Amino acid sequence: MIVENQMKKCGTQALGETHVRAANVTATPNASVRFWIITMLLVLMGLATLKLR
Amino acid sequence: MLLALTQWLAEDVRFFSVFNYITFRAVLAAMTALFISFLVGPTMIRKLTAYKIGQSVRNDGPQSHLIKAGTPTMGGALILTSIAITTLLWGDLHNHYVWVVLLSTLGFGVIGWVDDYRKVVHRNPKGLSARAKMGWQSVVALVVGVYLWKTASLPANTELIVPFLKFLVFPLPAFMFIALTYLVIVGSSNAVNLTDGLDGLAIMPTVMVSGALGIFAYVAGNAVFSKYLGIPYIPGAGELAVFCGAISGAGLAFLWFNAYPAEVFMGDVGALALGAALGTVAVIVRQELVLFIMGGVFVVEAVSVMIQVASFKLTGKRVFRMAPLHHHYELKGWKETQVVVRFWIITMLLVLMGLATLKLR
Repeated sequence: MIVENQMKKCGTQALGETHVRAANVTATPNASVRFWIITMLLVLMGLATLKLR
Repeated sequence: MLLALTQWLAEDVRFFSVFNYITFRAVLAAMTALFISFLVGPTMIRKLTAYKIGQSVRNDGPQSHLIKAGTPTMGGALILTSIAITTLLWGDLHNHYVWVVLLSTLGFGVIGWVDDYRKVVHRNPKGLSARAKMGWQSVVALVVGVYLWKTASLPANTELIVPFLKFLVFPLPAFMFIALTYLVIVGSSNAVNLTDGLDGLAIMPTVMVSGALGIFAYVAGNAVFSKYLGIPYIPGAGELAVFCGAISGAGLAFLWFNAYPAEVFMGDVGALALGAALGTVAVIVRQELVLFIMGGVFVVEAVSVMIQVASFKLTGKRVFRMAPLHHHYELKGWKETQVVVRFWIITMLLVLMGLATLKLR
């Protein structure tokens, strides 16, 4: 309810635009950051081989 | 705990001696914290959502943030749980520095948790009053300062060293040391909290700075390396590399869920605790000024708020379109993800500069 009231204050049109934009860009940044995290993990594993031999 | 076990096993099986190496345990700590957070994270987010522990969004903030209202918060509890379990598993529990950083971090975590709990569960928008919050933060920071002063066994434990200048070392009297410790821990804690306003903005710099502080801790705790690099030798400080590894691992895993569009926010419980953790490690390894460089993004965010408030009170005019600084850039037209990644890039550069102080002195 609070959110709806706040959203109404923004104006319906602006709100609609925000939603469309959010829906379009949702997946990409999330996926790229998660791929970075996996890479960092692999780098960490690579560094661990310095000691584990 | 596992260190004691592996040391016992190493008496019969030589392979287990590898666990005596701090560097190896630091990497293991990062991976353990990461996997704990990955395992517990989804369940925790579901529970936070089910209990309606959702973030309220400031009315006067950027309008694009209104859709974030209701996103589960207090995810910092996940980070702290991972850090605590991992440190207890892989850290040397006979080392008093490990306990100092762990208790300082958890102490600030409790303050943040109480604040979040009142705001979110009790629907009290004020949460913990500013005075009470600052009061309790001061108590924890002063206890850490007094303890570190009382247990200091070498002059190096209480000297202020200046980056890039090898021979510029200031021996600090008790009052100055405790005041500096207080400022660094409380300042760092609140600066991280102010930075935590966009998805992933606070956690990634925290991961990078803690990784670099882990290197400083390892070097400071090693007699040969510290002598070679001309930095103060702090016996026992190397063990903090394990703690820093745990922060990095838990932070990276949290970023998985906190990356734009965030599934969970860390809340004060995470931000205050992580900032305090960085500050406490920096004080122990005597790298307060290097933390100031590496955590430049946190510093600038905090300073932007101070400038905005001072300017508005004195002249009635605002210097920034909105404070903290990340909102200023958002209102200038940068997308949230652009602000976040650009601040990460700046932090990477600052961390590199901080690491360069190891050699350039």
